[in-house]
Amino acid sequence: MLKRHGHETVLAGLVVIALVVMSFQSAQFLTTGNMLNQGRLMAEVALVALAMTFVIVSGGIDLSVGSTMGLCAILTGVLWQNMGLPLGVVLAIIPLIGLICGLFNGFLIIRVGMPPLIATLGTLALYRGLAEGISQARSVRGYPEWFAAIGQGSILGLPTQIWILGIALIVAGVILGLTRWGRTVQAIGYSEPAAHFAGLPVNGAKYAVYAVSGLAASLAAILFVSRVSTTRSDMGTGLELDVITAVVLGGTSIFGGRGTIIGTALGLILVQVLKNGLSLAGVRGDGTLVLIGVVLVLTLVAGAFMENRVRR
Amino acid sequence: MTIAQTPPPAGGPALSVRDISKSFGPVKALKTASLDLMPGEVHALMGENGAGKSTLVKILAGMHAPSGGAILVDGVQTALPSPRRAAEAGIAVVHQELLLFGELTVAENVFAGHYPRKGGMVDWAFMRRRAQELLADLDCHDLDVDRKLGSLSVAMRQRVEIARALNHNARVLILDEPTAALGERDADRLLEIVLRLRARGVAILYVSHRMNEIFRISDRMSVLRDGTYIATRNARETTEGALISLMVGRPVDQMFPKTEVPIGGPVLEVRGLSCGPMVREASFTLHKGEILGIAGLVGSGRTELAHVLFGVTPAQSGTIHLHGQEIRIASPRAARDAGIAYVPEDRGAQGLVKPLPIRENISMAVLDRISPAGLINRAKEAAVAKRGFDMLGVRASGPEQIAGQLSGGNQQKVVIAKWLQTNPWVLILDEPTRGIDVGAKAEIHRLICELAGQGLAILMISSELPEVLAMSDRVMVIAEGRIRATLPREDATPEAVGHAMTARRSAS
Repeated sequence: MLKRHGHETVLAGLVVIALVVMSFQSAQFLTTGNMLNQGRLMAEVALVALAMTFVIVSGGIDLSVGSTMGLCAILTGVLWQNMGLPLGVVLAIIPLIGLICGLFNGFLIIRVGMPPLIATLGTLALYRGLAEGISQARSVRGYPEWFAAIGQGSILGLPTQIWILGIALIVAGVILGLTRWGRTVQAIGYSEPAAHFAGLPVNGAKYAVYAVSGLAASLAAILFVSRVSTTRSDMGTGLELDVITAVVLGGTSIFGGRGTIIGTALGLILVQVLKNGLSLAGVRGDGTLVLIGVVLVLTLVAGAFMENRVRR
Repeated sequence: MTIAQTPPPAGGPALSVRDISKSFGPVKALKTASLDLMPGEVHALMGENGAGKSTLVKILAGMHAPSGGAILVDGVQTALPSPRRAAEAGIAVVHQELLLFGELTVAENVFAGHYPRKGGMVDWAFMRRRAQELLADLDCHDLDVDRKLGSLSVAMRQRVEIARALNHNARVLILDEPTAALGERDADRLLEIVLRLRARGVAILYVSHRMNEIFRISDRMSVLRDGTYIATRNARETTEGALISLMVGRPVDQMFPKTEVPIGGPVLEVRGLSCGPMVREASFTLHKGEILGIAGLVGSGRTELAHVLFGVTPAQSGTIHLHGQEIRIASPRAARDAGIAYVPEDRGAQGLVKPLPIRENISMAVLDRISPAGLINRAKEAAVAKRGFDMLGVRASGPEQIAGQLSGGNQQKVVIAKWLQTNPWVLILDEPTRGIDVGAKAEIHRLICELAGQGLAILMISSELPEVLAMSDRVMVIAEGRIRATLPREDATPEAVGHAMTARRSAS
């Protein structure tokens, strides 16, 4: 257990410690209402982080997720209000847009041969530029009630987002841990030539991870627009950094190969607990950032140390 | 820049290693290794993989600190805490994986880390002149020292690394498997250089698996086994067989256990296969139970031919028939589905995913066949891994051991096991025993013969001529992307193959 999951163990311990410490700082922290609300607030980052785990495990990176989210958010408003499409149809189109954004990233990386960092840095600017061009600095409001229910409603007493996240978590965990697709992505991350020489569908798998990353960003856009009932072109700015922080904190190697969904989930929870707990305790935003930075560095060092110790 | 030095005391060893040991955690990589290296001698260091040769080399290079024992340079006890200090002590090491900078020029590489200065600026003129001199000494008169190192052949890069070593006026030169990545002819030139340095009084420690080389150039050999010093022998007073028994710890009956296998009908028929400049109109037929050896220098197009047959770089023209049916091979996956398996040349980068366990490596090529609806059937995977593991006699703690922790020979067995799970008709082996110690080598050879006996059609590429000649039923000689000759076993002498390799096209 410790041998291959030293990092996850360290992280789980940290989450418990953080929960205990924070609950002493503020009476509001460890309440059902606050916890459920935090689940709602972290949904967008979490959804994208689950997909990003696959991208990073494959040895790549997708910096364009925040811009993809912004583009999809603005298109939701423009297609519905300015083009007059029924909102139901728009909700079917948006995931396709996200998919196309992801596939275009894949095209640049796989067919054109650009390094993922450069390709998605380019599309980060491209997609954001498109979003701003389309929005013309207008924002869209006045979404119908039923749409707001996605981001603000509850099912059986739990926020909609918790259900969506739960399902996404299980699906992602099963795919990465138990299927041949997950194994293929992992093998590619450790050694792309070896995966290729073993007859694994390397290009197909890489297209898939970027497509899913774009898809996740578009779903996050729908959740976000529904939650805040408005659309602006700057939505999702900086999302990529929150997402990558959570994934890397979760123990996924930035060099590819190693990574688990449970690690990403723990990473997301830890960041959210720190953010929420510290703000309830009255710590300023910049202090929170510093602490998250410190925790990130320390966890990575401790995780690596434990796994080395056990392996020796 | 160069280090002032006094000549070594006459008769005394240039370098003495006294009871050196080294532990990594609880693992003892080296226990009590001792060795004397005399000026003007070539001293071969031998042993199976994992015997501790590389550890000893790294200690002498200043890369590892020994856990115990002493190192004496010219009779004076010397600590080697860093590669820089080792260089200052006159010890130069040419590592197996060349440690050079591909983006820098030849001259910059020769002086890496020690650029000569003049008035605070790098003295480029001196640097280039000196690099040229050093390389001329190594038989590279015409090498442009302004060329980027990355554009040179492996053989040339190695000479640059030797030049860098000599730039420090090294009196002890350690060569770690210098010919492992070289073709026959480049290896010959390297051996001449080694002999020339010996004549100049350099003490040379030579690590290699190649017996014929070792007997050609060594004065003495020392053998390590399981991290322990076993014996030192004079070259004139020992034999290959005696050395191998010292290394393995038991007598090895046969290096090349070629067994006669009835050869069946044609399995793979290749006609006019071409792809770029390295594969030009290749035509040959491979039969059931046959071992067809491919001899050729590095860069002759032999690996490229294998890559075309395996779909890594699909053919541009020509036809491939398998059991009489024309097939198109557009990807490694298509090759696998057709029944062609390929054990690649670069085991570490192409053959294995080193950080993954043996089980996941063995199941990798049949992953889709044991994953109904995408979910990996764990029981089937374990069975596949167990079958491959047992069939090839992989020596490891079990299928869950990480593949990268195995010795070269056992890693190769895992790669072969992986491909046998696909039930191939044709098995292409590219350098199947490169960097593998003698004991494991004989085992792999026996295995190849067994597989041929079971009816597999085998295409075997090797840089080691003795291996090709001893194992093959026919030998195909490749040069400059073309098949120059196909010789039946009886006619495949080293002379005939060597002639076909080097003859110009018009002459053949």
